[in-house]
Amino acid sequence: MKRTKTLIAGLVVIGAATSLVGSERPSQLAPLGPPPIPADNPQTPEKVALGEMLFFDPILSGNLGMACSSCHMPDSGWSVQSKISFGYPGTTHWRNSQTIINSAYYGKLFLAGSSKSLESQARSAARGGVAGNGEDDMMEARLAFVPEYREAFAMVFGDDWPNIRHAYMAIAAYERTLVQTDTPFDDYMRGDDNALSEQQQRGLGIFAGKGNCIACHNGPLLSNEAYYNLGVPPYDGWDDDPFAQITFRFELYAKGVTEAMYRSTKDDPGLYFRTKQETDKGKFRVPSLRYTQYTYPYMHNGMIETLRDVVEFYNDGGGENEFAKNKTALIQPLGLTDGEMDDLVAFLESLSGEEILPPFPDIPEMQPLPAASN
Amino acid sequence: MPMLFRTLIVGALIASGSLMAQEAVKPLVPLEVNPALSELGKRLFYDPRLSGDTSLSCSSCHQADKAFTDGKAMSQAYSGGAHFRNAPTLANVGYRAAWLHDGKLGTNLNDVAREMITETFLMNMDMRVMQERFKQDPVYVEMFKAAGYSEPSNGGARKALQAFLKTIVSRNAPIDTGALSDAAQRGQDIFLGKGQCASCHTGERYTDDMPHNTGVPNNPDIWSDPARHSVFVAYAKFMGVENYMNLREDLGAYVRTHREETKRSFLTPSLRELTYTAPYMHNGMIATLEDVVEFYNEGGGEDVNKDSALTPLGLSAGEKDDLVAFLQALSGDSFAIEAYVWPDADYGYRVIENWRDANN
Repeated sequence: MKRTKTLIAGLVVIGAATSLVGSERPSQLAPLGPPPIPADNPQTPEKVALGEMLFFDPILSGNLGMACSSCHMPDSGWSVQSKISFGYPGTTHWRNSQTIINSAYYGKLFLAGSSKSLESQARSAARGGVAGNGEDDMMEARLAFVPEYREAFAMVFGDDWPNIRHAYMAIAAYERTLVQTDTPFDDYMRGDDNALSEQQQRGLGIFAGKGNCIACHNGPLLSNEAYYNLGVPPYDGWDDDPFAQITFRFELYAKGVTEAMYRSTKDDPGLYFRTKQETDKGKFRVPSLRYTQYTYPYMHNGMIETLRDVVEFYNDGGGENEFAKNKTALIQPLGLTDGEMDDLVAFLESLSGEEILPPFPDIPEMQPLPAASN
Repeated sequence: MPMLFRTLIVGALIASGSLMAQEAVKPLVPLEVNPALSELGKRLFYDPRLSGDTSLSCSSCHQADKAFTDGKAMSQAYSGGAHFRNAPTLANVGYRAAWLHDGKLGTNLNDVAREMITETFLMNMDMRVMQERFKQDPVYVEMFKAAGYSEPSNGGARKALQAFLKTIVSRNAPIDTGALSDAAQRGQDIFLGKGQCASCHTGERYTDDMPHNTGVPNNPDIWSDPARHSVFVAYAKFMGVENYMNLREDLGAYVRTHREETKRSFLTPSLRELTYTAPYMHNGMIATLEDVVEFYNEGGGEDVNKDSALTPLGLSAGEKDDLVAFLQALSGDSFAIEAYVWPDADYGYRVIENWRDANN
């Protein structure tokens, strides 16, 4: 079924190669609409404003030093522009930091989909041993000492004292405003034939045709949110950075694997942590390709530096890693020419709009708390 | 009720003759430990990698030259917070029956070590990260082997810390060597008699290990500093204390009993090594030994739950001086010596070579 679809898409592109410009829009792609809003956490301007402060406030961490924004920096694509994200002080992280932009559209969060909502993702990140390393009771206690938070939590959630679960809800609401739906690609898909250059339109043809990118990168998000092993090589820091070796074993230990696996596995098993299925080792969720102009380096461990390198990686039929037998058959050498790869990169760039750089909010401070009259 | 009963018995013993109580006090017999294990524990004790952000070691608040206290009224805490109680001495900590000023921990030193390491406002350490840190340190790899463990582990680390803690035993205090000054000898008689100190400060460590309310005033600095107050709130919340946001007093043993009459009662502290451990009381509210003696001479502080054994003593100035001299004679040699101090900050990591092929 999947193969038939691919063949058809390929035929369409080949048949339309010269006339695609200004006409063809692959049916598997679409402009991005507004994000889904969960019924139990509706958006309000006040909640979003609270979430924005909390996103940038290190109060939600163990040491009052690690805000969400510490590893999701607006001027770094709302991510970290290095292979591996920053870890909590005294540690290093073990995966690439994902952008917050358009995270609102994912059904599951984290690279192996271990969180089912932005709300629970925020909590996991605030508490994780190599991330925020905070503890809910302590973080909640701190929030109560900030007059601005007491007021905002009371207004938004009706809290007598700030409730930590509500903090995560506010952050999620803020993140649902960090979307980009007006890229050149979106304009093109909405009918503006001039939104993509000719080169980008050729790239779109390759994307949907010879490149077969569209097999997984489809829909308005340009991700089918499925999990695959592409043979991305393991993070090279594990070979020479003792902090990285520490964190890697910690993750195996903390996420629960057999002792044999804890001692011998040397690459990120990804989806396996959730399913414990041998066939899921090394699989990661297909990422959206939106905003990728700002979110280098790429892949779950940042092992590919530029978009051009990513295209070459696929053109070579992907790579090889410890979990080779789980590598998806969808990845095959593509035989793209240099020019075709240039076109494809040009198209990928049309998936990013202007850089989103809002002014930083003022972060309120903890104050002494006078005894209540009651 | 049991507390009052016990107090009466102890009081009767004392009334029947000071010699009897005096004979009960002997030098502490060192606890037996595996030397390789306690040596490992010593290195761990001084290692800041036992805290989440590697900013604190056990020795940050338990400093050898202060008999393993920190000289502050209330100790520091994990980054971003501050503690609401005084750091207790670790001298003779292995002999205790309960730990923490409120007696929250009544099991063993293993639980004490775990609590200090993992508590969010103390060392805030995910021990799973800690174990992997140790495995990456070649010195620990060797030391755990020497102590009988195939590789570094959290359980082994806590056992080693316990072994080291058990070696922290008072040595050569005048009360043990018999070298009491005349003043100290007079002070001892007051301690056992007119001062009634031995009602609670009994045995080799001069403590009954029981909670008492002596009316020590609350330390207002807990509630003036949001960093400290927020830690206090987190603790009260975790211990299930009602209305914790409006709480402005340290409830002491109440957090574990939830019985009204135990509010603001704290474990009797040992009196050994007092000369190193100022300021005094669970919240550091009394600066000097002279002030402590004066506090008790006045019958303690004000509290509806105050132990009825506390009454004004009517000690003369000379008697108070003698009592202080006796208290000072309960302090022995400093712990700031090689046996209790890890000499090198040799805390490094090494890369595991050929990592992809290593069975690590």
